[in-house]
Amino acid sequence: MLPHLVNGIALGILFGLLALGFMLIVGVMEVINLAHGSLFALGAYVAMEIVNPGWLGGLSAGYLGLPLALRYALALTLAPVVIGLVGVGLERCIRRTYGKKAEYGLLLTFGAALVLEEGIRIVWGPGEKNLPVPEAVNGGFATGELIYSKYRFFAAFLGMVLMALVWLFLERTPYGARVKAGAHDSEMVRALGINIGRLRVFVFALGAALASLAGIILTPIWGLRPHVGVDAVIPSFLIIVLGGVGSFWGAVIAGLLVGITVGLTGGYAAEWSVMSMYLLLIFVLSFRARGLMGKKSALEA
Amino acid sequence: MKTLLRTALALSALLVLGASCKKKDDAATGEGPKAGAAKPILIGITADSSGQYANSGDSDKRGVLMAIEEWNAKGGLLGRPIKSVHLDTETTPATGSRVAERMIKQDKVAFIVGGVSSGVANAISQVAQKYGVIYLNTNSSSPSESGENCHRVKFVWDGNGNNFAQAAVKSAMGTFGKRWLLITNDYGWGHDTANATKKLVSENGGTIVGELLVPQGTRDFSAILLKAQQKSPEVVAAAVGGDDLKAMRAQVSQMKLGEKYAWLNNQQDWPDVYGLPRTDMFGVFGTTWYQGLDLPGVKDFIARYKKANADATIKTPGNVFYNGYWATRALFEAVDRAKTTNSHAVIKELEKTKIPAAVRMQHHDATMNPNTHQLQQTIYLAKANLQSNDPDELFKILSNTAPDQVVDKESEGKCKLEPFDATPVYEP
Amino acid sequence: MALTTPLTTRATLANARGQAWITKPMLITLGLLLTFPLWAEAVGLYPYLGIEVVIWMLYALGYNLLLGYTGLPSFGQGAFFGIGAYAYGLCYLGTHNPLVALLCAGLVGGLGAALVACFVAHRRGIYFALLTIACGQVFWFVSMKWHSLTGGEDGLLNIHRPDLHLGTLTVPLKDNVALFYFVVAVLAVAIVFLWRLVHSPFGKALQAIRMNETRARFVGYNVWLTKWTVVTLSGVFAGLSGGLLAISQESAYPDVMNVHGSGFIVMATLIGGGTVSFWGPVLGALVFIVARDLLGALTETWLLWYGLLFMGVVLFQPEGIAGAYLHYKGKLARRLSAAPPKLQEEAPNGSL
Repeated sequence: MLPHLVNGIALGILFGLLALGFMLIVGVMEVINLAHGSLFALGAYVAMEIVNPGWLGGLSAGYLGLPLALRYALALTLAPVVIGLVGVGLERCIRRTYGKKAEYGLLLTFGAALVLEEGIRIVWGPGEKNLPVPEAVNGGFATGELIYSKYRFFAAFLGMVLMALVWLFLERTPYGARVKAGAHDSEMVRALGINIGRLRVFVFALGAALASLAGIILTPIWGLRPHVGVDAVIPSFLIIVLGGVGSFWGAVIAGLLVGITVGLTGGYAAEWSVMSMYLLLIFVLSFRARGLMGKKSALEA
Repeated sequence: MKTLLRTALALSALLVLGASCKKKDDAATGEGPKAGAAKPILIGITADSSGQYANSGDSDKRGVLMAIEEWNAKGGLLGRPIKSVHLDTETTPATGSRVAERMIKQDKVAFIVGGVSSGVANAISQVAQKYGVIYLNTNSSSPSESGENCHRVKFVWDGNGNNFAQAAVKSAMGTFGKRWLLITNDYGWGHDTANATKKLVSENGGTIVGELLVPQGTRDFSAILLKAQQKSPEVVAAAVGGDDLKAMRAQVSQMKLGEKYAWLNNQQDWPDVYGLPRTDMFGVFGTTWYQGLDLPGVKDFIARYKKANADATIKTPGNVFYNGYWATRALFEAVDRAKTTNSHAVIKELEKTKIPAAVRMQHHDATMNPNTHQLQQTIYLAKANLQSNDPDELFKILSNTAPDQVVDKESEGKCKLEPFDATPVYEP
Repeated sequence: MALTTPLTTRATLANARGQAWITKPMLITLGLLLTFPLWAEAVGLYPYLGIEVVIWMLYALGYNLLLGYTGLPSFGQGAFFGIGAYAYGLCYLGTHNPLVALLCAGLVGGLGAALVACFVAHRRGIYFALLTIACGQVFWFVSMKWHSLTGGEDGLLNIHRPDLHLGTLTVPLKDNVALFYFVVAVLAVAIVFLWRLVHSPFGKALQAIRMNETRARFVGYNVWLTKWTVVTLSGVFAGLSGGLLAISQESAYPDVMNVHGSGFIVMATLIGGGTVSFWGPVLGALVFIVARDLLGALTETWLLWYGLLFMGVVLFQPEGIAGAYLHYKGKLARRLSAAPPKLQEEAPNGSL
């Protein structure tokens, strides 16, 4: 029981991280970002290029001489910046749909998801790639019944750190307060004289960067291929609906809940492990229509 | 009202324009000699260019195209130039149906070649059977393809899960041990393959310590691997396919479990593993061909591949390319023997297909089973080649098994080919 | 009724036309469709493509009840399309009566939608979209998982096309042209029904909800029940079209049910201009399927071009083809005479 529970919690942290960027964008922008999965994948590909730049030619020899851990750390900081910029570009397009029907943003990101995924396929080819991780966090250990990958613990730890950073940002900085206010009532924010346009660019970039971080952390576990984002976007959805739109703790708790459910069913009734996410969702929604932590949201209007 | 008519006119004009573009495309794909002299023979290539099997689809298509080029260089088929048209089947069965209808009714292809996903192959073969058009399923390794979903017009050119299981179980039982654990993808192909393994294990005196069912779409195998650890098996036989296998591969390698048990995987397609680090390839797996086989003709085949596919990211031919090439080549040889493109005559010739080992660059002769329409061929077992860092020297071949040792009897019982008089005659 | 007051001359005219059972655009559409097999080959198309186009027209028209008329962006419609296909297949394999099986497809599609509607009918906007995606995924997943019933990822196979017996008339559906006429007949009935529906008091209620749900409630509409009914009804149409697709493909597959499959119907409806015209979905389905067929033959990166097309439509022409047409027509009319200002945005339900 215990190993499966530990496993589920670690998994849940990763799911929570996956949903976080998605949640911010839905909460503040009122846009369901269907390109979340593609940004997730793109982030991992960009990180792979930073760790192992094939195109540098002669110059790369010296760079590749650097330890993998250093290059990995570089990828972990640089790739989100790059994807954040992609996010800024995407926001420039989405900007045109503000004030129009809500579904336009969704449709636009649906198109963007197709474009990004196909773009990845053109640039990196359709095949399986590999994002190397430093040797220090690679490998597994076995103690009695428990066998576990070091990387999994490292990933969960990294996930927790990132979530804590997002929380600190939202709760302890004035800008975070504005983001939260924007999620609650954008009219009011505007009335208070906050530049809502800039806030939206920022939130979208942040959401995209978080998606890419989730990609960099998760693809060593899931494998890296152009359509890997599809695997990411569905759990994100479930977690947001389950947790309630626009709620930080909703996303975290729902992520953990899904992780534990998948971990436990994986241990005792593996053939139901994927289905269990959906069953959990239906179960919760039957009792709490707005999800676990959802309040009445401006999005329903 | 008038404007409406005008819109309709404009729309039709658009369609005509689109259609004429397409015709140009057709003309561009064929490079037959003396085109115009005789009516070209058109091959419809149904390879997936998007979706889960896009990568294999690309290799598959290249194999078909190389066979076409070689035949055109020799003067075409029955004196007619060979052309081809390729449409993306998107790894989506519903698209496979539409593409097959289009190829047969609009492009008027003579034959349809190509398939990686069994779902798409099924969809195409249903349409092909309706019109009596010959369809070559080049690369789907689902036993149902030559079992319950077999058709008179469909020929299957890859070894299937059952063949690989037989080859693997027999040799692994002696080498690795008798305590077996199965990890099975919870759908048709997974169960078919696992059942074949189970039967063979108990026949050979082994014990099954457990079977872990993995739903399709599983991305996290930690719980499964934990459970596997608790059962302490000697051999783990995995029938996990597609992206699930790729995720599992990454995780097994991450936890360094690859060396802990003897892993038996089903077939590993070359395009799926090419470029991966050695450490990601664990255990023993099957294949129908490898570019490092020490057989006459292989070097020349690789050279031909390189010449024709300078643009490919995969620098050496693999099993998927090989199957695409050989299916197409065997079809052309059958047409030459039949001296006609009449579908019934060609089917009868294909059913008699027998390719000597030396020609096919395998260790044993290959023959077509006339009752299931599956090619009976040599099955190789391989593992990662840790002695080399060359991306092309990826495998180390462990054994080769003759086709008669690994006959898929299960499928033979399930396959009911349509009689000839229930299959329309098609002569392009 | 208060809600009709902003509609002036043009829209009033549209309403007047809405009273008719058969209209000119209907006749033209059906005329073009009925003659399609005669000129299809000449423009480089083929009858089978026509079948899929007509099926998608039906599917999109039913979907537009949600997107265009009620303003409900459902992203899980593919589920009912798929359910319809399976229901047709299972029912046909049981009864060997295509008409009964088709009825079954519509009913089961509607039933699935009714179930989903219970969860989503009190939602709107983005939250509605979110929930419909989640529900759609559940159906998709179940269809992949329930191997014994649906055939799993390989799909439900061998649903042979039957002969259709209508009294003394026998229609061999094996033949693509015959099947084409059959689906056109179904579409014709559906068009008349939907046309009457959107011009009925129920249709007015839908539009009232789209314009302002709160106001609609105050005016006295039962908003929840209306939304529940329209989701169910559009599910019936999705199921029916799914059943027709199962006939034409002789099989039923799960792929149409996932979020991509559902996204495509939203795209088709939007490209055509479902939000501004009754005929938008018809145009959209035509362009969507034909473009997919042509692009698939021209390039292997068709998804890239499709994605760009979608983005372009949303960014520059969110009212789709019908919107562009109305805009162009409005401009023309203004130039010809000092006519009253354009009112397109108020006439999504009007006529072309």
